[in-house]
Amino acid sequence: MAALTPTVLPDVSAPAHVPGRPRRVRVWRGVVLVVAALYFLAPLLASFIFTVNDPTQGFTLDAYGEIFPADGFAQSLLLSLGLAVATIVVVLALTLPAMLAVRLSAPRLRPVMEVVCTLPLVVPPITFVAGISTVLRWGPDYLATTPFYQTVMAIQNPSFPVVLVIADVVLALPFVYRALDSGLGAMDVRTLVEAARNCGASWPHVVFRVIIPNLKSGLASASFLTLALVLGEYTVARLLGFQPFSVWIVTVSGANAAMSVAVSIFSLLLTWLLLLILSTVGTRQRSGP
Amino acid sequence: MNGARVEFRGLRRTFGTAVALDGLDLTVEPGELIALLGPSGCGKTTALRCVAGFERPDAGAVLVDGDDITRVPANRRDAGMVFQSYSLFPNLNARDNVAFGMRVRKAPAAKRHARAAELLELVGLPTHGDRYPHQLSGGQQQRVALARALALEPRVLLLDEPLSALDAKVRVTLREEIRRLQLSLGITTIFVTHDQEEALSIADHVAVLKEGRLEQSGPPAEIYDRPATPFVAEFVGTMNHLPGRLSGDEVEVIGQRLPVQGHTPGATDVDVLVRPETVLVTPAEDGEALVVTSSFRGSSVRLLLRLDDGTEILADLPGHDATRLAPGGRAGIRLVERPVLVAPRTAAPVEVLTAAE
Amino acid sequence: MAETLATAPVDLPPGNPVRGGGSRTRSKGWTAALPLLVFVGLAFGIPALALLGGAFTSNGSLSSANLTASLQGAYLTALLGSVKLSALVAVVGAVLGTFLAQAVVTSRFRALREAVLTASGVLANFGGVPLAFAWIATLGNSGVLTTRLNLGDHGWSLYSFWGLALVYLYFSIPLMVLVVVPALDGLRPQWREAAQNNGASAWQFWRYVGIPVLTPTLLGGVVLLFGGAFAAYATAAAMVGTVVPLVTLQIADALTGNVLIGHENVALALSFDMIVVAGLVMAVYLPLQRRSARWLR
Repeated sequence: MAALTPTVLPDVSAPAHVPGRPRRVRVWRGVVLVVAALYFLAPLLASFIFTVNDPTQGFTLDAYGEIFPADGFAQSLLLSLGLAVATIVVVLALTLPAMLAVRLSAPRLRPVMEVVCTLPLVVPPITFVAGISTVLRWGPDYLATTPFYQTVMAIQNPSFPVVLVIADVVLALPFVYRALDSGLGAMDVRTLVEAARNCGASWPHVVFRVIIPNLKSGLASASFLTLALVLGEYTVARLLGFQPFSVWIVTVSGANAAMSVAVSIFSLLLTWLLLLILSTVGTRQRSGP
Repeated sequence: MNGARVEFRGLRRTFGTAVALDGLDLTVEPGELIALLGPSGCGKTTALRCVAGFERPDAGAVLVDGDDITRVPANRRDAGMVFQSYSLFPNLNARDNVAFGMRVRKAPAAKRHARAAELLELVGLPTHGDRYPHQLSGGQQQRVALARALALEPRVLLLDEPLSALDAKVRVTLREEIRRLQLSLGITTIFVTHDQEEALSIADHVAVLKEGRLEQSGPPAEIYDRPATPFVAEFVGTMNHLPGRLSGDEVEVIGQRLPVQGHTPGATDVDVLVRPETVLVTPAEDGEALVVTSSFRGSSVRLLLRLDDGTEILADLPGHDATRLAPGGRAGIRLVERPVLVAPRTAAPVEVLTAAE
Repeated sequence: MAETLATAPVDLPPGNPVRGGGSRTRSKGWTAALPLLVFVGLAFGIPALALLGGAFTSNGSLSSANLTASLQGAYLTALLGSVKLSALVAVVGAVLGTFLAQAVVTSRFRALREAVLTASGVLANFGGVPLAFAWIATLGNSGVLTTRLNLGDHGWSLYSFWGLALVYLYFSIPLMVLVVVPALDGLRPQWREAAQNNGASAWQFWRYVGIPVLTPTLLGGVVLLFGGAFAAYATAAAMVGTVVPLVTLQIADALTGNVLIGHENVALALSFDMIVVAGLVMAVYLPLQRRSARWLR
């Protein structure tokens, strides 16, 4: 911390030859950045070393080679990606019309939307899943003779648990709301829509040709946040007994430590790759026409 | 008299490859209000910031009452500054904003508040002490900023385009108040602006800057009536460029011979610079000019006229004189008999004309 | 109102001579928002009611026994442990994140700024199991740094309160950077210069203007970090099991039947406790955020 104190010292004797900011300021900045780089890079580097350094064989990439043939790998990864796609589609289909409506014709709904979309932040996922599992237990207990029972069972189908999509949509709401809200805030939706309608465009045309292209970076960041959330979501899936990718990693970790770390690195790289793709979509839009 | 003399001596400042100040020499007399006028990028703000201490010149010096203050840190300088906009501390109300400097100097609270109240009264906001910046209008914010700049009784007041973010009407009233206040306090004031009307209306002296150098400095009337260079003539007020022919120390322009002021370029074919208000227009069936457009400006009317050879002329005349000069009509043109400035012939005089607008 | 009416004719499909477009537009607004509201009502409302119902019933009748139980013994220790850990992570993360953000914001290298912001966006979302494993590989009992530096001999253990705090900071600091960078950008250079012009030193500028203006954002950031650390389960579960008492671990244990049967309702009561804590913290956050938005417009 001692290195940081110079920022708060009064600028008593300004160095005579340096125009602009005093040199001292640059020193603390450098120290902060170096320490941060060490802290944030160390686990990534160490993990990599951990996976390629076998105590008996030395350097080896076996840990990575073992990932793909491992039991359940493809299945759980596909499940996670499927859940992610479904969640993104559902959450956007729900929020986008509602948010456009708030901007265009029902500004009084705004506080309602804000509360609805902030609530999931107040409720930690573990408490949410506690509630969900209670509801799901009602199935066999009370609803066995009603048609609801079929529904409750159907949404828990292990090959594609719809209940996880429902939970993920709720958990993603705050992030999607904020991403879209800032995207919509950056453009004047009302004027755009009025201009387009004035030119004779139909509503679907307005939404798909005018609003969505202008909202691309907002949609991209909303999608990325949702994707990252679903891929990393562990609490709900684990406690409801499903096995998407994040849960699978833990299941295999007992058997092979090096491989489970390798899978962690793999999942991080996967997230980065997806972020890169989505952010290029976003930037191209920003620097584009 | 508590004003100081401010001198700029050979001030140079570059930002990368851009030269903001290129050897500026200028003296501001004690108690005087000087306007630094020029287009954006002419270095006027940089010069002001050198006085405030936010910029350190690469070469040259700033002197206040003969003392070189170039190396004095900004927070030890005896100059109050008003910024373009949004410079009030958002977390403090108007009173605490004004009293900020005294708080920094650990003045007792009672004294601070008394002084802040006095200053708010001075700038016409005696009841606004408890308001926060976001509760004040733009004009009120600038008044508070002015009070804050004056709070420590500086010997120099620096105004960095303080009116440019305000509505036209507020701008005029506030500039007049600034002038009144400045005269009553007798404080040396440097006022940076790109608005020539503003500069001419309140300054004792106007210094026109171009590309980091002083182009001309003098009282407003002199700058307007006897611009030393075509640049000044162009920048201050509106100018017609009329084709003329030099002969001796006179110039022939639209059939008149007028004396030439200042130095003459080598060529005989020149542009004669004529103010719109020195163009006399009379309605005449067989006049040499066609009235192209007429724009009403309240007290005056500006006409755009075209001669048969294609030369276009702007003319200002009192509003009531223009009723008989509708677009499409013909008019006779004469220039007021007085010395005129000439410049080398420009390729496209019409474009320059519109640029001056 | 006038605006709604003005847009109304535009809303009408061509060739449809329906009158009273104003009310029609408004009802359309509600209709478009309806699916979301219904969805949240069902997907969020039913579990919330189930949770409340479970927390406040014992053996089929209304009672506060579960709640009382959840505030005693091991449960209370876990709750306090979570609060302590989250508070530590929130405060330290906020301070360090602010320094990092300031270092980036004042830097003249645009690329550095972009890189740090992008990395923060990724790392703030880098929680859960992979994070735990990365740290286990680094500083766990057989981690790369632990073995190379013989940290074990010095009594180091990642599977402890402090170890957990170190790991939680890994996603908390980037989150703070993301929160505070816009606020630091919003600090106008005029404020610093006006302060200097009034004789203030750099320290006095921060003391009287900079820090007060940033305070709502900083507190907001602290709240957000607290919420994140408080709710975190996956990282802790993968790292420490039950070595460090945390409320999320307790709830999970109770739900998966690792403890006595019939404790599900205590788990629900514990969940209720958590929501109360998180709700209180959020109640602090929202007004603060509104205030800073006004200042940093």
